Amino acid sequence: MPQLWWYLALSAVLFTIGVVGVIIKRNVIAMFMCIELMLNAVNLTFVAFSSFFQDINGQLFVFIVMTVAAAEAAVGLGIIITIFRNRESLDVDDASILKL
Amino acid sequence: MDLTINIVLYFVAITIAFLTIMLMVAATVLAERRVLAFLQGRLGPNRVGYGGVLQPFADFIKTMMKEDLVPAQTTKFVFLLAPMIAVITAIMAILVYPFGPTINLPLIGPLQLVIARFDVGLLYVLGITSVGVYGIALAGWSSNNKYSLMGGLRSSAQMISYELSLGLSLVGVVLIAGTLDIYSIVEQQSGWWGFHWNIFYQPLGFIIYLISAIAETNRVPFDLPEAETELVAGFHTEYSSIKFLLFFNAEYINMITVSMLATTLFLGGWQGPLVAQFPLLGVFYFLIKILFFLFLYIWLRGTLPRFRFDQLMSFGWKFLMPVAILNIILTASVAFALAALGWL
Amino acid sequence: MLALLFIIFAGMAIGCAVAVVAQRNPLYSAISLIGVFISLACLYVMLAAPFIAAVQVIVYAGAIMVLVVFVIMLLNVEEEERRRPRLKFLVPVAIGLAAVLVAETSFIMYSVRFSPFTPTENVSNTGLTSQIGTGLFTTYLLPFEITSVLLLMAIVGAMTLTRRSASLSPTARIVPGTQILAMDILTPGSSENLTAVETDTTTEAALLLGVKPRQAPEEDEEI
Repeated sequence: MPQLWWYLALSAVLFTIGVVGVIIKRNVIAMFMCIELMLNAVNLTFVAFSSFFQDINGQLFVFIVMTVAAAEAAVGLGIIITIFRNRESLDVDDASILKL
Repeated sequence: MDLTINIVLYFVAITIAFLTIMLMVAATVLAERRVLAFLQGRLGPNRVGYGGVLQPFADFIKTMMKEDLVPAQTTKFVFLLAPMIAVITAIMAILVYPFGPTINLPLIGPLQLVIARFDVGLLYVLGITSVGVYGIALAGWSSNNKYSLMGGLRSSAQMISYELSLGLSLVGVVLIAGTLDIYSIVEQQSGWWGFHWNIFYQPLGFIIYLISAIAETNRVPFDLPEAETELVAGFHTEYSSIKFLLFFNAEYINMITVSMLATTLFLGGWQGPLVAQFPLLGVFYFLIKILFFLFLYIWLRGTLPRFRFDQLMSFGWKFLMPVAILNIILTASVAFALAALGWL
Repeated sequence: MLALLFIIFAGMAIGCAVAVVAQRNPLYSAISLIGVFISLACLYVMLAAPFIAAVQVIVYAGAIMVLVVFVIMLLNVEEEERRRPRLKFLVPVAIGLAAVLVAETSFIMYSVRFSPFTPTENVSNTGLTSQIGTGLFTTYLLPFEITSVLLLMAIVGAMTLTRRSASLSPTARIVPGTQILAMDILTPGSSENLTAVETDTTTEAALLLGVKPRQAPEEDEEI
């Protein structure tokens, strides 16, 4: 029977991998995907607690988080496309100064 | 011990359903060629076997023996993965459909003719349909061919646009049934000699669902991204032999599962006359209704020209989605009014 | 049995997550991320949250990642090339801080496990769709409505950001001679109007487009 702390440990590991990904990767789309990984790790924590404490509020919050993540994905990718059009490169190091 | 028996039973059920679906795909392939031929004033393949019955198997053997080409500069892993995703998501959708009523076997007891019955069956089907888009997008990308890429992107854009109206048209049915479980939705359509079927309660929803389903499975009149006269053959240009067969199968299995969803949600599934006395008649009625929808698909293919891509997209976004939302509003208002009046 | 399933799905999730970070090709990272989402959906089913699992597949794996895969394909993103790491002195600092993080997390796990308030069984039926629907439309009605406005903002924002502006990009150059331009460049969004504008000289084309003409006769026009 998987215990609560198993799910929390998995969520911590996934979150850490996401943080490492955001720091290491240079491609801006890959960084965005690691941010989504972090959001999912937090979702797993919410659902695990909601299940073990028989409380529906965790799952409702996960619903809202997923919707917000979808909106953020749309706008974030729009920004990425615009940056790519102007700078012709998806490397974050090339976008580190404000001048085009 | 109980667990292993359950697992063995699930495997047996899955195998039976899988074989049934494969036979239905073979029958659909043959039916398409013959019915299309009759619509066009010719005969179609009738040499192999009696009346052409073995033609799909002959096609299968011929396609398996073709040379398996892989383009030189593709990412091989994605090239191999794409048809697998297409076929796996197509077949996974048959898990939740009830093939017939609960049969009372003499020794084992009541047997529900559904592989897996869970709370959110309808959402599961919609989710599987959403993941099926990847097969086409990745196939178009990994072929290293600009026509394949264009065809793949157009096809997946069309699929995700019509997924929206597909899901919205089913919300009306869920409002009437009060549950997302497909088995319960079928059971709630019983009685009144067939006039309790959802097609009478949701005619607009049924039409929207049918149009979205035809667009979702990339069939005429929405098959611009993969027609033979456009873009070579679309996303499966570079695929040959077994991988092409997997895409081909995936398209027909998608047609069958979409027809299954239409019959279970709108036409009452296995309901029909005399089912209470002879439960196996329910399976027969289910197959008859699915065959009706497949005939409708082939009929449309023989009759209608195809849409241009921008006409297709503007139809999906500017007409079909608002009409689906209108359908939800109408259904909800009528249900609320009836509940307030105490008639529901 | 459930523990075995947990180990399988958790292993798949961690393996795909490591692949997301370790892969250099962003398309492979995207496919691995889809694997993470599907294994997380399986874990949600084990946690008696079937609605959230289905919504995870539909929204994350079926919509957001399709968007990301489209962007990767349209922008034709290349692989990252390796480069030698700069700031080598930060590596021991990173290891030290990672050790602190691991110690903190282990302490939290320890206290959750041996706390008297943690329930041990999760035989629950809290994830029913009817309960989520009730909560969403009674207690959480305001976040629900605000989320719908947020989605509308996201749609409008994404469309506005990716609209091509009316002028050419600053790296465009004009070649002298006859120019045929589609109306779509002058007024973006008028893609039904494919009439051509024919001009003879660079100055007239420049006036139409609103850019300064340059004296560069042998370079190609780049739009």
